[in-house]
Amino acid sequence: MRKHFGWRVRIPVAMLVVAVGLTIAATGFSKTSGAHAVKAAGLACGLGTGQKATGTPIKIGAIAVKQAGTDFTDIPNMANAYFQCVNDNGGIYGHPIVQDLLTDQTDPGALAADAKQLIETDHVVGIAGSSDIIDCAVNSAYYKKMHFNVLEAGIAEQCYSSPAEAPVNMGPRYSADGATQTAIALHAKKIAFDQSNVPGTQYNLGGSKLIAKAAHVPIQFLTEDAANINGETAAEKEVQAAGPGGAVVLVFTPPVALAILQGAQHLGLENKVIWTCATPCNTDFLATALGSAWNHKLYVNAEMNLISQDNGPNSVLYQKVLKLYGSNVAGGIGSFSQFGFLLGQLAVKGLLSIKSKVYTPQTVNAAFKALKNFKTDFLCKPWYFGPLPNNTDFTVYPQDGKMVLVPKSGCLPISTVDPLVKQVRAYEKAHHV
Amino acid sequence: MPSWSNFQPFIPIGLAAGGVYALSGVGMVVLYRATGVLNLAFGAIGAMGALIAWTMINTWHVPAGIAYVACILFGGVATLLYGMVFGRLLAARDPLVKAAATLGLALLMLGVMNRLWPAQVTRSITLPTDNTAFTFGDASVDWTQVIAVGFGVVMTVGTAIFLRVTKIGTAMRALADDREITATLGVPVRRVEAAAWFGSGLLAGAAGLLLADLVTLASDGLTFIVIFTLSAALIARLRSLTVTFVAAMVIGLVDNLITPINSITNFRDMTPFVLAIAALLFFSRERQYSFARGGIR
Repeated sequence: MRKHFGWRVRIPVAMLVVAVGLTIAATGFSKTSGAHAVKAAGLACGLGTGQKATGTPIKIGAIAVKQAGTDFTDIPNMANAYFQCVNDNGGIYGHPIVQDLLTDQTDPGALAADAKQLIETDHVVGIAGSSDIIDCAVNSAYYKKMHFNVLEAGIAEQCYSSPAEAPVNMGPRYSADGATQTAIALHAKKIAFDQSNVPGTQYNLGGSKLIAKAAHVPIQFLTEDAANINGETAAEKEVQAAGPGGAVVLVFTPPVALAILQGAQHLGLENKVIWTCATPCNTDFLATALGSAWNHKLYVNAEMNLISQDNGPNSVLYQKVLKLYGSNVAGGIGSFSQFGFLLGQLAVKGLLSIKSKVYTPQTVNAAFKALKNFKTDFLCKPWYFGPLPNNTDFTVYPQDGKMVLVPKSGCLPISTVDPLVKQVRAYEKAHHV
Repeated sequence: MPSWSNFQPFIPIGLAAGGVYALSGVGMVVLYRATGVLNLAFGAIGAMGALIAWTMINTWHVPAGIAYVACILFGGVATLLYGMVFGRLLAARDPLVKAAATLGLALLMLGVMNRLWPAQVTRSITLPTDNTAFTFGDASVDWTQVIAVGFGVVMTVGTAIFLRVTKIGTAMRALADDREITATLGVPVRRVEAAAWFGSGLLAGAAGLLLADLVTLASDGLTFIVIFTLSAALIARLRSLTVTFVAAMVIGLVDNLITPINSITNFRDMTPFVLAIAALLFFSRERQYSFARGGIR
């Protein structure tokens, strides 16, 4: 006769199974953590002690856009990857850094609430690693009021004009300036500038308009619905707008840019105009997806160095951290994760500089504001807390599945025809940056 | 106003898009007539099939042909599974509830796709016919576009013939006319419905593959492209396959031909809505507007 077990037996057995399972999982996790810590030893992350930080956490906030067609979470995710490496190497004098990341869908009301939540509810002591289309526009006044000095990868105008914000990147406007300058340098007769129709992106075309006008090159501005892009339609529209001997400047995320470039290739348009792109196109994923048909045909303004061609200490460390801790950095090696890595490094440098070793919003934000002369092989010039510290960068193009530096292109200074660039250069000259 | 040479290149693009909308529209209409379900997850199913094909080719290094077949089969199987479980559970509910349920499926699949295939990674599907363009006047046409149009025509005509001459097609038409009487006559209703779900799903998979190549391999974009298909189906009042085909081609063409007109190009996304509303208003004016299931033509 089969014995049937009632619920009085089944429930405790089930609980036992769950408990054993959790124990095994926890053991596995700590074995994994242990493995991470072993591998992390010797990595120059923060203090580089190889000892896991176990003290009171230091909470650092970040906000990133994540919506259809636009996802910048690779930036804070890579910053957090660096934080994890630092935490496995002694943290900030024993304190691990914990990231508090909130995502946004270009909703001003929700965004304002997010900033308030980070500062007033979650009590983060600093904000580093943010990248959102409208965060600066919505929240920079609030950050200033709350005496927060934000380290971010900027997009909106306020990221480059607010005293409470310091970007590591040029942002779409100045990166598009670089792409436009490249098109003009390649003797484009007319330029078609195309970008997403998401609110807040009008600012991006301002510099290109001035640069094209100064060079006496006509420029036409187009927009696309990035979430529902038809690559062939967009490519044909752009080529018609650019005209014979013209150039197309693309300001899109890599998946959208890929759809357009492949659409162009389907229609045989890749040789009809000069193709340039702002920084987001600087990713090996795009180069691989495009294939050899696009070798040397897409000029990308790269706001940071090319990792594959640079053995500098930051580039080497970046790759190690990405491999060990960057499992949720979907885009892999590329500008976005480089922004995140640099933001992580800057935040850690700021935290380590606090002599009192007391980590409050006052001390942390003062430390962030005081950051200067940060040398990295990612950038052409040292970084400092300011409106546009990254204003000189690189030009790359695809070659056999990888992005490579355009020969003899060197560091490209963004044109001072754009007013903020002129201001910043004057500041740098006066302060010997 | 742009010249004819500006419009010409958009004609094959529009026709190709219209061909795929027609393919999807036929699947949507046949399924609606046979089961009463307006499948708003059509695009999502095709999108997931395309992403699975991409993974098979790029991650598992499976030959592309097998991956494409897998994409189409995934569409059929996923739709059939939904139909056999939820279609049955919701059979007695009104059409709005059934449609809303498929919207739930679409959103669920969208979430799964965004999780498994994050948007930051650049992905694409390249069919062998992509880079074989030829010139037609001022327009550059590639064979994938020709296939998209041809497939739309073939499936519309083929489905119409299938519904007319085959036993199961006749049963589907009978179901569309009157479900109760059809069941009373001994027609295996569940089997006929299953065939409709599966066939419609195969078309979803095929449409997803073509759109991933012609438009973009992005989960959000492909999921919501169902709006174009839905507009074509609504213009046909979820009844006529011929009208669905014509409406789909018109939507694809108009959407693209607007592109070079600078004053209205930024309003292109309104095309399916405007055309559907105009058609529905026209039909209601002639008192031919009806929600009844009156057979498939």
